[in-house]
Amino acid sequence: MNSVRVRHERMSRARLTLQRLGFVAALLLLWEGATGGFGLPPVLEPIIVARPSSAVAEIGAYAASGLLAKDLAATLQATSIGLALGIVGGVAFGLLLGYARGTADTVEPVLIAFNSLPRIALAPVLVIAFGLGITSKIFLAFLTVFFVIFFNTYLGIRSVDPELVKAVRVMGGTRSDLARYVILPSVFSWIFAALRTSVSFALSGAVVGEFVGSTAGLGYRMAISTGLLDTNRTYAILLLLMAIAVTLVEIAKRVENRLLRWRPTSALVA
Amino acid sequence: MRISINGVGIRFRKGVEVVRDVTLDIPSGDFVTIVGPSGCGKSTLLNAIAGQLDPTECVVEGRIAIDGSPPGTRGIRLGYVFQRDTLLPWRTILDNVELGLVIRRVPRAERERARELVSLVGLEGFEHYYPHQVSGGMRQRAQLIRTLAYEPDVILMDEPFGALDAQNRMLLQAELLRMWERRRVTVVFVTHDLAEAIVLGQRVVVMSRRPGRIKAIRDVKLTGTRDPFELRASPEFTRLEAAVWAELRDEFRAGPA
Repeated sequence: MNSVRVRHERMSRARLTLQRLGFVAALLLLWEGATGGFGLPPVLEPIIVARPSSAVAEIGAYAASGLLAKDLAATLQATSIGLALGIVGGVAFGLLLGYARGTADTVEPVLIAFNSLPRIALAPVLVIAFGLGITSKIFLAFLTVFFVIFFNTYLGIRSVDPELVKAVRVMGGTRSDLARYVILPSVFSWIFAALRTSVSFALSGAVVGEFVGSTAGLGYRMAISTGLLDTNRTYAILLLLMAIAVTLVEIAKRVENRLLRWRPTSALVA
Repeated sequence: MRISINGVGIRFRKGVEVVRDVTLDIPSGDFVTIVGPSGCGKSTLLNAIAGQLDPTECVVEGRIAIDGSPPGTRGIRLGYVFQRDTLLPWRTILDNVELGLVIRRVPRAERERARELVSLVGLEGFEHYYPHQVSGGMRQRAQLIRTLAYEPDVILMDEPFGALDAQNRMLLQAELLRMWERRRVTVVFVTHDLAEAIVLGQRVVVMSRRPGRIKAIRDVKLTGTRDPFELRASPEFTRLEAAVWAELRDEFRAGPA
């Protein structure tokens, strides 16, 4: 019975993968055709929308020039440092305010206002303050991540199930037992749930910082190629960014699933 | 441990009087069940014994003492079994059962008792499952033995089997009685199920509707060992049930306060 079901599931999984690949291939073919591929008359001018085959070929040229490695390193460095700082800072600050209710109630409106502000809009200000180097990008990535993690930590503390706290307390648990066995695990589930969003936020922060003013990075290179109407390179970078984002989010998803093994799995999570 | 409750009244600061003038002496090793209509303050009374009432929310008059000490005193080995599932979802079944031992800094090698209890209630094979992966009945078993594992001297139970189906409920009642026979601790068991109160308790305390007062106390003198599956058919049980029901009927009929 069971093995039949497993086999059935595996079959439909393989089929789903095939269908998905087919869909992507169809999109690419359509795009290729619309931009003048296969000898068809172009519906979209290749100077405005690049042909996918040219964009992919451009990735090769970009890599061969040695610039890709340099830009990739700059962007990934800004993303990862900003992400790490944002997580550490957000957790620390969230725990601090989560425990200090009085202070939290005072500063909450300001934090909410900052959180509502599109953080990307801070890019020009940060570039002025920290210059064209990597610092301003790290800072922007940090800010985008910090608020997400901070609010999740803070709300996580506030929404710890009081019955679980009571259960451990009547068992003889001290304050530190409560923190260790109830509050932190509960809060960490909120933090890990925000990991995926944070990863893509950090990448956007770094890239937008590079758009605004920089000397290296994928965002910088893209701004330059757009200015030169080098559509192929622009699209090549877009494809690269998509690949990076998908990879990072997938890693975050795996980390999350591993650490939150204890949670009931939703049927919707593919 | 002996629990003495003397002239206890509990009132919420917002105005509702929950419990009025309750006096009850529970000798060490006694199994007392408290039965009453919903909202009669039986759970609040249990929380007062556990020292878990928030003094900013309610006022307690009278005196509660556990072996002479006020509730909430450190060093009282107290267990509390909840109606709602309060297993920590991020710990496996075994880790949950061992929690009380971990908190007491019992070294891993000496936590054998937890494993024994796990197999005693038929949870072996599920030690490394997370709570959401097992049935409600299994979770409630785990919750019960989590309390028994650290060998408390007083166990307070707040409708612990209320959320279970009839079969699981009777199985767990039988398990609880068996474990209580092995180690006679003081148990205060709150329920709204009259049959459960009679099956489990050596004494049944009947409470009135809110504000909850003690309406009657009945000794349950049943011959032989108690078996929830057999007991329900015995004439003694039926007689007792009718007698307690006569006390309880009017309180139930009045509807929730």
